[in-house]
Amino acid sequence: MAYIGQGAGVGLAADATVTNLTVTGTVDFDATGNIDGPVTGATTPAAGTFTTLEATSLDNTPIGGTTPAAGSFTDMAFNSGYGSVATAYGCRAWVNFDGTGTVAIRESGNVSSITDNGTGSYTANFTIAMPDANYAVAGTSTTSSGGNPVILRPTTLVTTEVDFETLQANGTEQDPATVSVAIFR
Amino acid sequence: MNRIIYRTDEGGVAVIVPTDEALRSHTIQEIAEKDVPAGKPFKIVDVSDIPSDRTFRNAWEADEADLTDGVGADRSTFQ
Repeated sequence: MAYIGQGAGVGLAADATVTNLTVTGTVDFDATGNIDGPVTGATTPAAGTFTTLEATSLDNTPIGGTTPAAGSFTDMAFNSGYGSVATAYGCRAWVNFDGTGTVAIRESGNVSSITDNGTGSYTANFTIAMPDANYAVAGTSTTSSGGNPVILRPTTLVTTEVDFETLQANGTEQDPATVSVAIFR
Repeated sequence: MNRIIYRTDEGGVAVIVPTDEALRSHTIQEIAEKDVPAGKPFKIVDVSDIPSDRTFRNAWEADEADLTDGVGADRSTFQ
């Protein structure tokens, strides 16, 4: 069953089935932190109809329906107020680490480890492999916070890892204090 | 905190630093088996065993006889 919750919020019981839900304004699920779906038996909304989406997690497990195959979200597109809908390509993996002294990882996403191969030479090992090696590598590195920039050069891209070097302007390997690498595909 | 070491093809030492996110769901042994290149023996060591002075980083060496904790599988996913 569905019910109207406190205040202006709309609450759904855990076993509720929503057959049609139209939202014209902002959807804010911060109170529960979750969005459950997909909506069953409903007319598929036009792409990009969400103008604002806030949530701590997005769960596509249906309520009382057939569990979709993993990765059944085949596309995610939104308008974001630009007047046209475009597919959003998420960051598939990222890591921020200190390459000086005892190399230490500050934070990461979908990275199981980094390999310190030598001065200015590292590997980011992915927890979940990329679908192919045609991904884009974005990265920055600096000698210290706010310090001199260090060139970050990807050297080998494979589905399970990316090798990269950090170099001074003259091509000499350098251990940077801050290395940030992000993978897009 | 631990690190994983193995010998590189050039005779140097590679040091693997596991991420906290991986350690929340996998052991360092599992991380080593996934991320160490296939066929390479490795050793899991305490971080204090890794020199913090990297002045001669490319000259670090490891005795292969000491790399006794397993052999890398270079897996694409955890098993």
